Amino acid sequence: MWLAGALLVTLALAIVSLFVGVGTVTPDRLWSDAEGGQALQLLLVSRIPRTLAILLAGASLAIAGLVMQTIVRNRFVEPSTAGTTESASLGFLAVTLLAPGWPVMAKMGVAALFAFAGTALFLRILRFVPLRDAMLVPLVGLMLGGVIGAVTSFLAYRFGLLPSLLAWTMGDFSGVLRGRYELLWLGLVAALLAYGMADRFTVAGMGRDVATSLGLSYESVVTLGLALVSTIAAVTLVSVGAIPFLGLVLPNLVSLLVGDNMRVTVPWVAVLGALFVLVCDILGRVLRYPYEIPIGTMVGLVGSAVFLVLILRGRHA
Amino acid sequence: MTRLCISLILSACLALAMGGFGASVSAAPITVPHAQGETVLPGVPTKVMVTDWAAFDNLEALGVPVSGVPASATPPYLAGRIGADAQRIGSLQEPDMEAIAAAEPDLVIVASRSRTALPTLSQIAPTLDMSVDNADLVGGVKASLQTYGRVFGREARAGELVAALDERIAQARAAMAGKGTGLVLVVNGGRLGVYGPGSRVAWIYDALGVPSVLGDVSDRDHGGDAVSFEYLLERNPDWLFVVDRDAGIGNEGTARQVLDNELIHGTKFWAKNQIVFLDPAAAYVTMHGYSGLMLMLDQIIARARDAS
Repeated sequence: MWLAGALLVTLALAIVSLFVGVGTVTPDRLWSDAEGGQALQLLLVSRIPRTLAILLAGASLAIAGLVMQTIVRNRFVEPSTAGTTESASLGFLAVTLLAPGWPVMAKMGVAALFAFAGTALFLRILRFVPLRDAMLVPLVGLMLGGVIGAVTSFLAYRFGLLPSLLAWTMGDFSGVLRGRYELLWLGLVAALLAYGMADRFTVAGMGRDVATSLGLSYESVVTLGLALVSTIAAVTLVSVGAIPFLGLVLPNLVSLLVGDNMRVTVPWVAVLGALFVLVCDILGRVLRYPYEIPIGTMVGLVGSAVFLVLILRGRHA
Repeated sequence: MTRLCISLILSACLALAMGGFGASVSAAPITVPHAQGETVLPGVPTKVMVTDWAAFDNLEALGVPVSGVPASATPPYLAGRIGADAQRIGSLQEPDMEAIAAAEPDLVIVASRSRTALPTLSQIAPTLDMSVDNADLVGGVKASLQTYGRVFGREARAGELVAALDERIAQARAAMAGKGTGLVLVVNGGRLGVYGPGSRVAWIYDALGVPSVLGDVSDRDHGGDAVSFEYLLERNPDWLFVVDRDAGIGNEGTARQVLDNELIHGTKFWAKNQIVFLDPAAAYVTMHGYSGLMLMLDQIIARARDAS
């Protein structure tokens, strides 16, 4: 019921998003042939792809966060606090340096492989952390991300790619056009698979022993989860850049609202993730019109504020 | 016999006079005002190191040998003109202080990217900050040439270069006159930004008199203000001047590929094929160098004449 409401709000805002931009697109102009049907062209080439990209990236990144949190059993883990995003950047940089001519799909594949390796390394390191303290886990992830990020920055610096690296990794929907965002549909596929596997992730989250005694192949479930998360991280990084905090804030908010059963939370996380990014992007397009504030900045700003509130609330409870 | 004597004495006198004259020139201290104060040089410097490509560009144009250049982002248009024995002395932002100290130069030149190194470098060798204010870029380049001309005793050559620059600008102005509006765009990592007044390429608006399609744009970050493809379609300038930042720093440029899309195909500049891909190194790295500026002016003049 409430979910349907959230979905409706998201749809309404998605329609608003179609009519926000520098070009003039208004409903009545769409049906007229004003300026040779330019409004309709803008809608098809720019507005609809951008809105879809926002919805896809928002939903799949939020779910990636949820899957990681379930597997690692820690509320403060998400691709950008576990080294996944940084590893994907390193992979993308490496393939850009070594094989600049490769098609985007191949580059993205390399980025996903790096993301997978980086996240697996994170899980491996976690095994050696004696106290699985709630704060220690994300700290390990942040440190790992820091090390990988430092290697990436160093390489980028050595090869004069630092400004380009900053531009790729800063999440930004302004370059989205028809033909330049479709990879994000892969993220949706990964997110749907995650939904299908929700029960297994929940069980795997209870630990190797419990999962195994319940007849679950722990290793393969965790591996598949990591593959899904890595794919989502790589696809969004390559298509629109990194959007920090999203996978962290949304699952926590949803957990406060509807609890922790992953079957229930996945749709919520997906819808609210899409809604959150949509609101941030519309604001980013409007606040400094006709220039844009990149989504990475907007989400970072709003997301960190929400996160702070969550932590403070947790203290009082 | 006497004739020989006389000529010997004469030539000896001449040699003495020449020697005396030369010594007095190189011994006279030269006071050079620059962006961070004033530096007194004991004489004409012979071993010069630069931490900025614009400084190299200008000195090379004047025919002054340079014995130390940055290690990073060598502009392709200058690559062939760097002396084979020139030392590489650190990145554009961070000069290699130790290498510079070890080389014992007579003069070090810093500029916008390396200007914070001046206090440290001054303790090693006389240092000039030759930063140029983008608000009057052309004037700044001319002033740099004249300063170098005075320091190295090449005033005449500096005068020629300034005159040549003025003439080329007049040609470009004339070529672009009445050819419509323009916009300077920077492409970086596949993203777009617009450069406005006060930016490193603002001279296209100011010095060439190309009417800009943007009223207000701030250049707070190096990539210019972020814009979408829709913005280009909506503002629809007649000319697009592209600074391909990736290509400028020595990587594969993406600007052509990024701009080749359905929305851009609807713009005036695309329809008339009026996109000028400015020499990326001259536009993004050197900016304040004479040869780089001339190179970009040539590009603009050539395209503007084609478009007549």
